[in-house]
Amino acid sequence: MSRLCRIGATALVLAFAARIAVAAGAGADVQLPPFERLTLANGTEIALMPKRDTPLVAMTVQVRGGALEDAPGREGTESLLADLMQKGAGGRDAAQFAEAIEGAGGELAVSAGTERLVLAADFMSRDVPLMIGLVSDALLRPRLDPAEFAKVRGLAQQSIAAEKDGDPRALLGTFGDAWLFRDHPYGRPVGGSEESLATVTLDDLRRLYELQVHGDRLIVVMVGDFDPADARRRLEAAFGGLPRGVTPPAAATAAPRVEGRRVLLIDKPGATQTYFWLGNVGAARTDPERTAQLVVNTVLGGRYTSMLNTELRVKSGLTYGAGSGFDRLRQPGAFAISSYTATPSTVQAIDLAISTLERLHADGIDDKTLASAKSYLLGQFPPTLETNGALAGRLADMLFYGLGPEDVNGFAARVSAVEHGAVQRAIERAFPRASDLAIVLIGDAAAIRGQVAKYGPVTEMRITDPRFAPRREP
Amino acid sequence: MARTRCVLLLLLFGCGMGAAQAAVPADAGSIVTRKLSNGLEIVVWPDHDIPNVAMYTWYRVGSRNERPGITGIAHFFEHMMFNGTKTRPPGEFDREMEAAGGTNNAYTTEDVTVYQNWFPAGQLELIFDLESDRMRHLDFDPKAVESERGVVYSERRSSIDNDSFGTLVEQVQATAYLAHPYQSPVIGWPSDIESWTIEDLRAFYRQYYAPNNAVMFVVGDVEPAAVLALAERYLAKLEPQPAPAPVTTKEPPQLGERRLIVRRDGQTPIIAMAWHAAAAPDRESRVLEVLLAILGSGDSSRLHQRLVEHEQAAVQVGTQLQAGFDPGLAWVYAVVPPGGDAARAEQLIDEEIARIAKDGPTPPELTKARNQALAGFWRGLETISGKAGALGRYQVFHGDYRKLFDEPAVYETITAEDVRRAAAEVLRADNRTVGVLMPTLPAAGPAASDGAAR
Repeated sequence: MSRLCRIGATALVLAFAARIAVAAGAGADVQLPPFERLTLANGTEIALMPKRDTPLVAMTVQVRGGALEDAPGREGTESLLADLMQKGAGGRDAAQFAEAIEGAGGELAVSAGTERLVLAADFMSRDVPLMIGLVSDALLRPRLDPAEFAKVRGLAQQSIAAEKDGDPRALLGTFGDAWLFRDHPYGRPVGGSEESLATVTLDDLRRLYELQVHGDRLIVVMVGDFDPADARRRLEAAFGGLPRGVTPPAAATAAPRVEGRRVLLIDKPGATQTYFWLGNVGAARTDPERTAQLVVNTVLGGRYTSMLNTELRVKSGLTYGAGSGFDRLRQPGAFAISSYTATPSTVQAIDLAISTLERLHADGIDDKTLASAKSYLLGQFPPTLETNGALAGRLADMLFYGLGPEDVNGFAARVSAVEHGAVQRAIERAFPRASDLAIVLIGDAAAIRGQVAKYGPVTEMRITDPRFAPRREP
Repeated sequence: MARTRCVLLLLLFGCGMGAAQAAVPADAGSIVTRKLSNGLEIVVWPDHDIPNVAMYTWYRVGSRNERPGITGIAHFFEHMMFNGTKTRPPGEFDREMEAAGGTNNAYTTEDVTVYQNWFPAGQLELIFDLESDRMRHLDFDPKAVESERGVVYSERRSSIDNDSFGTLVEQVQATAYLAHPYQSPVIGWPSDIESWTIEDLRAFYRQYYAPNNAVMFVVGDVEPAAVLALAERYLAKLEPQPAPAPVTTKEPPQLGERRLIVRRDGQTPIIAMAWHAAAAPDRESRVLEVLLAILGSGDSSRLHQRLVEHEQAAVQVGTQLQAGFDPGLAWVYAVVPPGGDAARAEQLIDEEIARIAKDGPTPPELTKARNQALAGFWRGLETISGKAGALGRYQVFHGDYRKLFDEPAVYETITAEDVRRAAAEVLRADNRTVGVLMPTLPAAGPAASDGAAR
């Protein structure tokens, strides 16, 4: 059961920085393989990309809306709908549905995002009709069975409790978003909290389903070893009859940045390590300056030799990993720095993270580091487009945000063009000042509460509280 | 409890089932191997899908080669391989690689240590230079050693000490083995992390980091002749060493069930069971993979259906086979709802094991296991990294990478009776260790007044 990696998940999870081909002076540009696009009469957008190197096909269907559609206080509705879509659909009950997927060696997952519901499937080529049948059943003919609903809701609550006994890195971002966006829908936990899940009813799911599942909200993508003409016919038959909706997808407005600092201390008694998250409102997926922001983040916290990992891990041995990253949505999501350290070194590590952010603002990025970061991004981009599933996700992303193929095909040119002026603008506009941070700490409160008060007014809660944010005064 | 990693490993290790004629990728015929005069083996698989290369270097050393006092040193050594050579100061390896568009990682298991470089094809020579430099001229800067101790301790706190599942697994594994070094955690016991010395590291380097104890895999946008020429130029000068002392200890047969309890702050009980199983190349490991997939892989598996769906006695169940050079452990675990009853989960697991040990799997279950493995096999070969990993597993554990493509034939021979017999012979109470994590805080319980499964 033991496989210890040199670089753990956290630093690199945050560094989901896109990546592309070609180090400076070597290799070739990466372009999307050819694909076909069409829009059905009901507004459903389809993209098909045949790619025949393995006998597999990936399919994704994305539905505009997402957890933003959840009613306030009913967080987790969309997420439970996603769970329940897999628990019986069309002619199959829950067990038969699972059997149909796994019996073919297939994979099918439905998950809720903040702004879209995502169905992602991966099957062997010989099973394309089965895959389209199962995906369309889950989306268009879910049984929404009351007994299954009670189970998925109970499991969702219990899984959150179980996660709280596990590695705190898994929940740090959820607490962070809730604390940063406390007056904004981006702060609401997509999966709900134990408390909010308890209030969600099957009728809430049915209402959400009726509101959301319409032809003009769908994006359907297939990538892999399949016959495009055959797939087009099957997809038109499967999704073409779904009527258009009347309500536009829920949308958020941009949240204001946090000014000053505020601290949320989440008590996990007995923790031997403090996990910290320093965030502010960052940048949107379509931000015209996103490439320069990506370059800057690579330098600050997006790779192993980043400033943060160098200071907190390489030079001081305070942690196994430190990094930073942007959560990009239609509106600016969180920009956050995160790391963890032994309880006694909590303040030392947070001070170091803060001073590193200050140094970015004070000193900018030198020529050599800028060249290195650009080269790194170019070199690491092609592997992000290697699998059918990755390409399908990227195509769906482009359609969802209304970006053209140049989002991928122009990446290398955009990275290469980033110069100091753009870097400086990105630092000033997208990276928070160290004086303006929403700070979340998970750790042994008794050991650290006195020391962390220096970062700002401290609010406390327990990790076992059935929510991700402290109760607000009325 | 995100345990995706276990599932992925199961799929990878379970790869290769299904129709034999379908399991050889079109470009597998272009694989080239070479053994240098110093014993270093190189396997090259050209794949021009993306302009990148995955270079994996496997060393036949892991925590299995440790002794009391230096547990965790194989893993710590892995970290030190990035911390400076006679000509490159600590950190330079990473700086040069990333500036050239490359990135890297490494991992250590009970059996092996693997170094992974991913880089643009045009940087092949630089990466050979960097890799050969640390293979030949590693240096141990005392400051870097002390700093890295802190890093590894943080890694231990994250993956074991502050994670219920990690804590339980460590204790079960340590209890399952009386004699064999698989008993010690890969990360090392805390007092050993604090104690090993530079001299220990030097001795370890001499003994295990020899070309004749390593295999290199280069997969991606390369021409084999160019790779082999660079290998001759950069790696042939490495001095071979006497073969490391073999691990001769064999775990004696277990004579009765062992049980342990771990008490820890939390809300959620966990039960984990581990049976002594087989080594990676044994056919029995393939049979156990099929058995464990039928029991615990996916929502349609027997344990998921019984414990999670029907009885609501678990939030999550899973299975995992650990199979290396020596017989490893077959694992079954269940995460119990807050306030739930681990004994009830155990009873249900026992009933399901008894049922498959008596009646064996159904024909559709065997077909499902084969299909899952065949699809997993192809998913594993979608990327140059996946290919490098698959070649490595077969070359190192099975003695020949070609067996990767033979495996479908092996799986086709696995019968329902094989699976039934393995359940009866391996998943016996006398052959297992059972660990229960008992949370010591009162369960807060979900806020739901109804609908919460118990």
